[in-house]
Parts: sequence; structure tokens; C-alpha cells
Amino acid sequence: MDKFVYPSLKERLKAEYKIYLTAFVFILIADSIGQIQIPLGPGQFILFPIFYALIMGVLSGPQVTKIMKSKQVKAASKLVVVAICPFIAKLGINAGASLETVISAGPALLLQEFGNLGTILLAMPLAVLLGMKREAVGATHSINRESNLALITDVYGPDSPEARGSLSIYVVGGMIGTVYFGFMVSVVAILGIFHPYALGMASGVGAGILMASAVASLTEIYPAMADQISALASASETISGIDGIYMALFIGLPLCNWLYKVLEPRIGRFGEKRKQKKLEEK
Amino acid sequence: MRYIEWLVLFVISGLGIALANFVGFDVGFMESLPGILVLLAIAAAGVAVSKVIPLKLPVVAYVSIIGLLAACPVSPCREFVIDAAAKINFTAPLTMVGAYAGISISDQIKSFLKQGWKMILVGIFVMTGTFIGSAAIAHIVMTLTGTI
Repeated sequence: MDKFVYPSLKERLKAEYKIYLTAFVFILIADSIGQIQIPLGPGQFILFPIFYALIMGVLSGPQVTKIMKSKQVKAASKLVVVAICPFIAKLGINAGASLETVISAGPALLLQEFGNLGTILLAMPLAVLLGMKREAVGATHSINRESNLALITDVYGPDSPEARGSLSIYVVGGMIGTVYFGFMVSVVAILGIFHPYALGMASGVGAGILMASAVASLTEIYPAMADQISALASASETISGIDGIYMALFIGLPLCNWLYKVLEPRIGRFGEKRKQKKLEEK
Repeated sequence: MRYIEWLVLFVISGLGIALANFVGFDVGFMESLPGILVLLAIAAAGVAVSKVIPLKLPVVAYVSIIGLLAACPVSPCREFVIDAAAKINFTAPLTMVGAYAGISISDQIKSFLKQGWKMILVGIFVMTGTFIGSAAIAHIVMTLTGTI
């Protein structure tokens, strides 16, 4: 049997109506402002209404303006899934409409899933260099969204350094991820190293809102290929949603643990040396 | 969540999409309506399928697959689905997602500020690494298979 948060629909609406109304006000403001394009070297960085709505949402919470109370904050995280479903449906339609592109890119779609391990190769050395210990394993094993956080907590326990690292990146990703992802994707696109199709696929990292931010930027940068890009992003996101947790458990974590064992004795001491120096100075 | 709760919340999302599509892109409510109904029907079907099928996948995976099937070349309603959905601007459904997501993390500001620059830097590398890694493999494989 499912467990229900509210005893009835009426109770839910009574508890959450303020969230809905606030969201409507945010939409009114954010979409009135509309997109803002900021020139960035040879390309551009685009601000989307979703960014303004996100920031207004953060500011409405119990730690700033207190319009939203803790109970409503909790309720909102469930609503994110509801609200993103129509967007995912739209992307799915794009994928169906451009099915030929998706199928012809089949091998690339499947293999690029392993690219998510790029996180480990890029971020683990940095984390160890900065002096992190086992936190580094939790922090860099994957992109650290909800399901990954749950996985790490399950494997290492909620009080473990691994879980602390995972939670930290989860918080950082939630706070700056959406805006940063759109920005980073624009920069990578401007560099022109990768084909727009590859960028579309890479957008599907297994976090809906990050994918949305990336695809929104890419479709503005490459309007002629917008349909194909969003179709490939949708396919990649769907695959990531299915295999992501297994990828993290069976490949990500073992690779992370191995890399940590190799790197920590070699470059971990730089971090320690700096720490000692700091202590001596004090 | 009960079906009726999903349904009502989807209708509220639909109104949010209509509002964003009107305010941001000057598309009237009646013009948006078929597209919104299509998106909501697919979303609702995804929820129903995820409850019926014992295979535990995220709801969004089912929604995405059903959207693909509804618009794929063998679908009887392909034309209608694609045309209706095309009226909904790409970013219109996203503003509400941003609003909810912002509210849902609004109690993490203090925790975020406590992370310090090292964690933020690692977080940036984590996000960048995933994207670059996937883009590189996708680019190489598509070059090898002659897709691009």
C-alpha cells in the first residue's frame, strides 16, 4: 500500500495552496522579464525565466523572507517532480518526432552514459589535492542528485564522511547547478570542440532541471538543430534515469575508491602540508 | 500520491504553463490549450503506467517513453500531438519547475554558505566533468559511426 502524506486531496490543497499561488506570481514576474542575452566572447550566455523563478523561490524560504515555512519547503520538493512531467513529455514528443536522429545516434547514446564517469576523473584529483579524505568518494562518485545521495547513505551510512561529501555536492548542485550548467554548456558550445548533437546528449545527466537548463541554452545557440538537440537530450536523460543508479553503484563507486587509493598517498599530502603550515602560522 | 492528487496538481501545472506561455510568448490560453492537454495526458499516462508496472523506474522515464511513442511515426495521433505540443514554447513549462525547486531548497542556504569554496569548486568540477565526459564520448562515437 502506498503511504499518503495527506489524508485527502482537500488537506493537500489546504496545506499547499500558498505554494501554488506563489509559483503563479513568480511565473508572472519571471516570464514578464523574459530571456536576457549576455554577450560572452564570441557567443552568449542566456538568462531564462526558470533562473529568476528559482532565485525568487530560494529567497521566499524560511531562511530569508520567511514567506514559505519549513512545512511548505518540504512539500515543494514533491511538486518539482509533478511540474517537470509536462516538460519531460514535451521532450519525449520531440524525441518521437525526430526518431530517425535518435536511432541513428543509438550507439553514441548508449556509450556516452559512461561519460558520466568523467566526473570522477576530473573532480576526484581536485578533491584529494584540496585535502579531502573519504568525503571525496561521496562528493565525486556521480553528479549527486537525490538518488545518488540515497545510494551513498545506504552504502556508507548517514554519518559517514562519504555521505557528508555527497550531501555537500547535492546542496551545491541544487543551489548553483541550474544556472552554472546553462552557463558552462554555453561556454563549451562557444569553444566549438563538440558537435551540437553531442552537446545535446551530454545534457542528459540524470537531473531533470540541469538538463532543462542545458537544453534551453543549446536550442537558443543552435536554433536550426533545436529539435534534434532536444530529442537527443530527452533520450539520453531517459537512459540516465534508468541506468544512473546502477552506473554509480557498480562502476562509479569502485572506480572512485580505486582512484582515491591511488591518489591519496601521492597527492593527498599537498593538502595536508598546507593544513600543517596553516596550523604552524597560527 | 493518489491519482486525484496527481490530476489536480497536473491541472495546476497546466495553468502555470498557460500563464508562462501567455506572459512570455503572447500565446493565448485557447491556443495553448490543446498542447497543454496533450502534455498533461502523457504525464498522467506516465504516472498510471509507473503505478501499474512493477518495474521500478522513475516516473519521468515512463513519461518520456510515452511521449516518444505518442509522437513516433507509427502513432495514429502523431501529427496532432506534434502540432499541439509545438504551440507550447520550450521554456514555458520550466518556470514553474524553477519556482518549486527554488522553494524546495530555500532551507539549504545556510548549509550552502557553510560548504566553503573547496566544496563549491569540487561541485563545479563534478558538473563539468559529467558534461564534458559525455560530450567527448558522444562526439567520438558519432564520428566513428558516421552520424555527424
